[in-house]
Amino acid sequence: MSPYFFYLFAAILILASLTVVLARNPLYNVLALVVAIFSLSCLFVLLEAFFVGMILLLVYAGAVLVFFLFVVMCLNLNDVKLSSGQQTRFRWLGSIVGLMFFASFCLATKSFIKAQAMDASSIRGTIEVIGKILFTDYLLPFELTSLLLLIAIFGIVSLAQGVLSTGKDFESI
Amino acid sequence: MVGIDPLLVWIAFFAPLAACALITLFFLDSKRASSLVAIAGILISFACSCLIFTQIFQNDPPAQLQRSLTWIHLGGLTINFGFLMNPLAIMMLLIVTGVGSAIFIYSRGYMDEDPSSPRFFAYLSLFAFSMIGIVLSNNFIQLFMFWELVGLSSYLLIGFWYAKPSAADAGVKAFMVNRLSDFGFLCGIILLWSLSDTGAGRSFQFTDLMPAIAHIDPHLLTIVGLLLFCGVVGKSAQIPLHVWLIDAMEGPTPVSALIHAATMVAAGIYLLARTYFIFEPSSTALGVIAYTGALTSLMAAILAVAENDIKRILAYSTLSQLGLMVMALGLGGPLQGMYHLTTHAFFKALLFLGAGSVIYALHHEQNIWNMHGLLKKMPVTGITFLIGTLALCGIFPLSGFWSKDGILALAYTHSTPLYLIAATASGFTAFYMGRLFFVAFWGEPAAAHHGHEVHESPAVMTLPLVFLAILSAIGGFMGIPHYLFPQEAPEALNMRVALISSAVAVLGLGLAYKIYGRRASTDPLVSKLGSFYAVLQNKFYFDIVYGWYVDHVQQNIALFLSRFEKEFLLRLCVGGITNLARSGGKTFRYLQNGLVQFYALIFILGAVLLFLILVKTI
Amino acid sequence: MITLGSYLALSGIIFSVGLIGVMISRNVLKVLLSLELLLAASNLSFVAFSKFNGDYAGQLIVFFVILVAAAEVAIGLAIIVVMYRRLSTIQADDLKEMKW
Repeated sequence: MSPYFFYLFAAILILASLTVVLARNPLYNVLALVVAIFSLSCLFVLLEAFFVGMILLLVYAGAVLVFFLFVVMCLNLNDVKLSSGQQTRFRWLGSIVGLMFFASFCLATKSFIKAQAMDASSIRGTIEVIGKILFTDYLLPFELTSLLLLIAIFGIVSLAQGVLSTGKDFESI
Repeated sequence: MVGIDPLLVWIAFFAPLAACALITLFFLDSKRASSLVAIAGILISFACSCLIFTQIFQNDPPAQLQRSLTWIHLGGLTINFGFLMNPLAIMMLLIVTGVGSAIFIYSRGYMDEDPSSPRFFAYLSLFAFSMIGIVLSNNFIQLFMFWELVGLSSYLLIGFWYAKPSAADAGVKAFMVNRLSDFGFLCGIILLWSLSDTGAGRSFQFTDLMPAIAHIDPHLLTIVGLLLFCGVVGKSAQIPLHVWLIDAMEGPTPVSALIHAATMVAAGIYLLARTYFIFEPSSTALGVIAYTGALTSLMAAILAVAENDIKRILAYSTLSQLGLMVMALGLGGPLQGMYHLTTHAFFKALLFLGAGSVIYALHHEQNIWNMHGLLKKMPVTGITFLIGTLALCGIFPLSGFWSKDGILALAYTHSTPLYLIAATASGFTAFYMGRLFFVAFWGEPAAAHHGHEVHESPAVMTLPLVFLAILSAIGGFMGIPHYLFPQEAPEALNMRVALISSAVAVLGLGLAYKIYGRRASTDPLVSKLGSFYAVLQNKFYFDIVYGWYVDHVQQNIALFLSRFEKEFLLRLCVGGITNLARSGGKTFRYLQNGLVQFYALIFILGAVLLFLILVKTI
Repeated sequence: MITLGSYLALSGIIFSVGLIGVMISRNVLKVLLSLELLLAASNLSFVAFSKFNGDYAGQLIVFFVILVAAAEVAIGLAIIVVMYRRLSTIQADDLKEMKW
């Protein structure tokens, strides 16, 4: 049963990510990413990493992508008109480079294709286990990330302040 | 045994330099003070030289002293600064400072009216310092330094009246010609140094080179000798680089007396005598030297016949006598050459100063055809001039007789063609000097010259004349050869040569009297010689040939090189590099198009390529 | 049979898609979204390795990556808002003041 679930979620993930890149409407992009995150979360659950899967849903899909949606709604975007052609010639090159990257990635991971099955180890990333490690071995990074979030808040507030308060430009502050 | 006091030598060396510095720094506005400082400087040197002379010759054998300070020491290259005092050096030093003192004192009177005379005395002191430097140097590099410095002083003094175009040009000409010869000289010095092997490495010092000569290949030694002779050809104005000496008469007369008669031009002879050990083994070099000297002597003597400017006649006579000295050295007689140099210094300086006195009295008139019967109007000048003339012609018992005879005897015993050339030159010398004397000094004086009354020059000018006249007269009896080269036994007089040369001299004077004794208004020779006279007037076309060469060959080479530099080196090479950088920049700036995604693309492309290289796929 | 390789292949595909998205998007918002895809792909491969090696460290790293990604997205969006206010556009091509 597991292989089929894997293929199902993998297919959804791939389709969703393609939609993120290829769709025109920005709303579609964001919503496609939400779908992608969902399927990713399911994959995590398949890998028995429950805690991380939940966190992904809560933080990512719950907060970050909703924030994205807010901004997309706020900005009142019209249809994207075709660009003036500045970058157009490089866009084709971009795809090619991406494919080159994929090829080199495959080259790098060649050896792992023949690796043994995943069920080899039996760790389960439950909340208790992860929590225990988080608050003992990884306490310092945990505290530091809270500091990081604080700094991020400072940054956002100062960036947005100039725009929202009197409608003046950022520069005038 | 009283040794030489080195302090005296250093004082004698640097006193004129101190004088020059003092004048330049403090006394450039005061004519009186600057002349006194300069005279003091040279007199101090003279006094020290006299003291050193006594110190040297109180000993038997005469004392010798060398002192050196290491100036540059780089691996195998050692250059010292010092002096080598020996009998030859002290004699030359006495001449330079003694005759120099007389001329300095004379200049005080001569340059009295000139507004920029302080500058003159500064240059004169600088020259004295440089000349003393040449005399005292104990190694080739120091000698070369002072050689060039003397050339510079000469340039400054010839072109002293720089506002006059002919004077400025003459200064440049002298400097250029000397520069040319100095190039050969320097090549010779370096070649000699590279060949020298004194056991303790290579050296420029004379005393180190003397034993090292034996180990050098004779053919190379000949080349060295010829290259060093190049320097002599330029400085002592031998053929073909004699052209500057005639035009150098544009300078003030004391300059002509000091530099271009007594001392600087004699520096070449002095060099040959001082470093004679280099030339001695090579008969080819000596032969070239001898013939160059002889031909110069004859050519100058012939050209003097066609000159009408008193200073130029004397300049040609200098050339002629220098040729004789060089010939003497080429024949293996450094003693005879230096002896003649000494006596020549006496009477040539005397003649030039006398000419200066005449020029001064006649308010800068230099054409002899405008001078009448000066003997009566300017007795002191006239009589001293006569003594000088007779000494120059080699009349017994004046000093010139003894020294010139020494050279002619040397030529007689060694080489008949050279003797004939020298004797002919002496004959011509007597003729043109007689011509000069009879035209300018003999006969009835004119009533006045250009409305001015002509009278004798002031004492400050005539006293040096008298001093030099006395020296010219008794110079033969002062035993100079013994002091110059104490090791050589005194030579007996060759009666046959003496009689022949005296006869030739008297013949020359007699012929001059016959043609010019009864004063005509113009030169009768012009009509007699006809078209040949034009050749003489053009100085055997040397200047014209050189001028053509410079205009047509030299200029074109210079233009070609200038164009080469501008087009190839500057535009292609340097400009090419800048254009390369500029066009490279112009091409690569398109990478900075301000689009972030483009940068991301390049970034990722780079990462992929790096990965592929690391995995050794590419 | 699902091996580590399949998870890695999936991760690679998602990463490449995200990379292409970053490079060819005309819209700055889409660029940011593609960036999220990149992060997601890395997270997947971290967790896969963690399960394979029996080490919880991979999952903890994912935890922190998610946190940092959240912060980064927030700031990125703030910047986009400022950009919109200034230039009235969110086309990536219009951001070219640092041109040669």
